[in-house]
Amino acid sequence: MANLVKFTIDGRELEAAPGTLVIDAAKRAGIEIPAFCYYEGLSLQGACRMCMVEVERMPKLQTACTLPVAEGMVVRTDTPQVAQARKGTLEFLLTNHPLDCPVCDKGGECELQDMVFRYGAGESRFTEIKHHVDEKQWSPVVYFDAPRCILCYRCVRVCDEGMGVGALGVVNRGVVAEIAPNHGDHLECDECGMCIDICPVGALTSGAYRYKTRPWEMEHVGTICTHCSNGCRTTLGVRNNQIIRGNNRDSSGINGEFLCIKGRYAFDFYDHPDRLQAPLMKVNGKLEPVSWSQALAAVARKFSDVKARGGNFGVIGSNRTTNEENFYLQKFARQVLGTNNLDHRRSGDIVSLLDALHGQQTALATTADLYQAKAVVVISADLALEHPLLSWQIRANWRHHAAHVYVVTTEPVREDKYSVNAARCAPGQELETLQALRPQLVDEPELIFVFGDTIKGEKVRKLVEFGASLGKPVKYVCLVDYANSRGAMDMGLTPELLPGYRASGMPGLTIAEMLAAEDLDVLWVVGANPLAGASLAARGAFVVVQDLFLTETAQAADVVFPACSAYEKNGTVTNVTGEVQRLKRAVQAMGTKPDLEIIGLLAREMGEAAQLGPWSADKVFAEIRATVPGYNVPLPVILTGGAAQTSPVNGRVEAPARPELIRSARNGLFSSGTLGRYSNVLHSVLEGRRQP
Amino acid sequence: MPNPINEVFEAAAAVAKGMTVTLKELMSPTVTENYPDEPPKFEERYRGVHVLQRDENGMEKCVACFLCAAACPSNCIYIEAAENTDTVRISGGERYAKVYNIDYNRCIFCGYCVEACPTDAITHGHGFEIASYNTATLIYRKEQLLAPAPAGAKPPVIAEEAPAGH
Ligand code: SF4
Ligand code: SF4
Ligand code: SF4
Ligand code: SF4
Ligand code: SF4
Ligand code: FES
Repeated sequence: MANLVKFTIDGRELEAAPGTLVIDAAKRAGIEIPAFCYYEGLSLQGACRMCMVEVERMPKLQTACTLPVAEGMVVRTDTPQVAQARKGTLEFLLTNHPLDCPVCDKGGECELQDMVFRYGAGESRFTEIKHHVDEKQWSPVVYFDAPRCILCYRCVRVCDEGMGVGALGVVNRGVVAEIAPNHGDHLECDECGMCIDICPVGALTSGAYRYKTRPWEMEHVGTICTHCSNGCRTTLGVRNNQIIRGNNRDSSGINGEFLCIKGRYAFDFYDHPDRLQAPLMKVNGKLEPVSWSQALAAVARKFSDVKARGGNFGVIGSNRTTNEENFYLQKFARQVLGTNNLDHRRSGDIVSLLDALHGQQTALATTADLYQAKAVVVISADLALEHPLLSWQIRANWRHHAAHVYVVTTEPVREDKYSVNAARCAPGQELETLQALRPQLVDEPELIFVFGDTIKGEKVRKLVEFGASLGKPVKYVCLVDYANSRGAMDMGLTPELLPGYRASGMPGLTIAEMLAAEDLDVLWVVGANPLAGASLAARGAFVVVQDLFLTETAQAADVVFPACSAYEKNGTVTNVTGEVQRLKRAVQAMGTKPDLEIIGLLAREMGEAAQLGPWSADKVFAEIRATVPGYNVPLPVILTGGAAQTSPVNGRVEAPARPELIRSARNGLFSSGTLGRYSNVLHSVLEGRRQP
Repeated sequence: MPNPINEVFEAAAAVAKGMTVTLKELMSPTVTENYPDEPPKFEERYRGVHVLQRDENGMEKCVACFLCAAACPSNCIYIEAAENTDTVRISGGERYAKVYNIDYNRCIFCGYCVEACPTDAITHGHGFEIASYNTATLIYRKEQLLAPAPAGAKPPVIAEEAPAGH
């Protein structure tokens, strides 16, 4: 550590690294300096004048948020002059503020409310009529109430710096200065809601949460976003068994405060009117609601029959169900049904990567690594749209640590703006283009390669060889699609691999082969939709589906079980960087059961429950930790809402990687597979875009 | 040694004094409540069954801020909020109480809710005859608590001339 600077705040002798701001040094020492415009991680603004402190031998009060500590500096935050300055600043901020706290959404968690309560004067000396501007709707999810705004520019900065979007700005001057959206009267942006979240007052409000309740009326449940593979932690505000709000309230987890539109708003699929609430069974060619016991008995009878006469099963798992469910499903398929026809939709070639790395456990990057690494190479992915959190991390790394970002894509992407080299390549020519960057890359002290689904099979191996040839510490992120795409692979939902990437050594059908097999007797689909745009060759096959909605596959089913969404169950999921995190049940949906329980009940109905063990998430996770290589993650970390990275193999993967099966859905910001189809928020944003 | 004559006079004086009070009270109007034959009288600040007030336009004053519910020591106020729109305007602010229940099984008539209300929407009325054999009837709904709209007030749903914002 460089020489520490010694200084005094309120008579306490403190030390900090040179360049530390007085406001940060004070905070670390437990001394509060009130602030609005200062926000850790964003550029300095010095706009609100709330953070005034007295500094010895300086003629006037100073803003603590822009003042670096200096040797021998004597700062006071507790003098009458400072108290007077705070009172005055607040009085100014309230000049045109409507003081409508009773209706304002921010009431109860408003920084202005807290500050006025703590430091403000009892009354105002202004007698003039307050300047009023009507509230505006900027997009389906963003509303702006100008009179409440205190012009701290946090929203402008988080959108520009944090998101890299820059959709907000300031128009006019003085008392009529106002925050304005990029398209005159409306916003066209990522609709992430970061600006709403960061607004210290209730000027920016959320279309989904507006006027529904008050913060203290909700229960706050910390769980993991079920949409993309980035695995953001989100806090769901729950009241009366309804999810009312999503935000990462305590900034915990791998994403800090970050959430994209899907994590913040697109939880709304859970109470879509089309949600299945009772098991369905085909009676005279039509799906009719039946009781759970009827449906379970029918399926168990069929499974037992087909098993007894040595028939063919096909089992398709999900990219969103929990690790426990995936593990239990493959155990059921392999042990009870005796089949190896087990697959899921694969979206990234993690198998080739693990094999190519054979056992260099530290060669897999974590989400945090993307913020720390000196250089990041993004290959064949539009991160800002497809993997918003990873993009956010890399952007923050560039802002705070001047990380070198390289891009190799076919189309322009948002990362170009701050890359040191944005190379365009012809489709399929990524590695050749990468070679051209070699002279620059060899000079980097360390690197992370982030690659999408076009880098698969041999190309992954070549990429790893290229990385090794640089002679620097290199880490990798293999991009996958959904919340638990990685977990599905880790838990052995493929014919070739058992949990933990051990070779199964047995033949088995892949999804396409199952659909094409004319002699298939049973197709069991858990949380997937393989029949969207495809058909089943085996006309007489008995199809069992577990899902939230009547998807194309469910419509073709003989029995449909209504399943819980990720927000309605406990368990663990593994994100794109292999970090295991815990889901916590926030609400209960009428008539549904978690997939784990459905599978367990089927096993019981078949009289096979004993060999599968109890279907409680905790028990199955204990078994996973004990038996799956790499999953012996520290339990306290996971139980307290943290993320622990797995190290799934230590050695070659003795099975083919099947790169031909890998295809990413390439969901953008406003789509999320089946769930996205049932999210009204995502629809309303897309519709807004379509109108001229 | 007490004088017996004096004693007689003193006793007579005491009786006379007592009788003056009696006679005076006999002549003055009665203060006993004739309830239930006549309605009882209340002090202005008596805390009875709540009344949810309306403003001069007949709009509900309650903006569903939940402060009364937060202040209530017996946790007996239940609110569901909703947003006023241009076509359906219920309250003067942006938000109104779609559901507002007070559970009189639990209410202790402490008045904290009234104290907490920033819009003077909830007040204590003088209603007290709420005894019931069925506790379910003691959960009062908004419709039971609302004051009647003042004569000549515009109805709460005013589609065409709803002002934006306020
Ligand atoms: S929603 Fe997100 S992208 Fe849109 S203006 Fe706000 S911060 Fe910027
Ligand atoms: S809208 Fe909110 S975050 Fe933006 S400048 Fe105004 S007060 Fe600050
Ligand atoms: S980045 Fe992915 S995990 Fe994070 S909130 Fe968005 S969809 Fe959810
Ligand atoms: S009077 Fe007291 S107990 Fe009754 S509703 Fe009001 S705050 Fe609650
Ligand atoms: S009655 Fe008053 S305190 Fe209670 S919710 Fe309505 S406005 Fe708020
Ligand atoms: S926090 Fe220092 S000027 Fe705003």
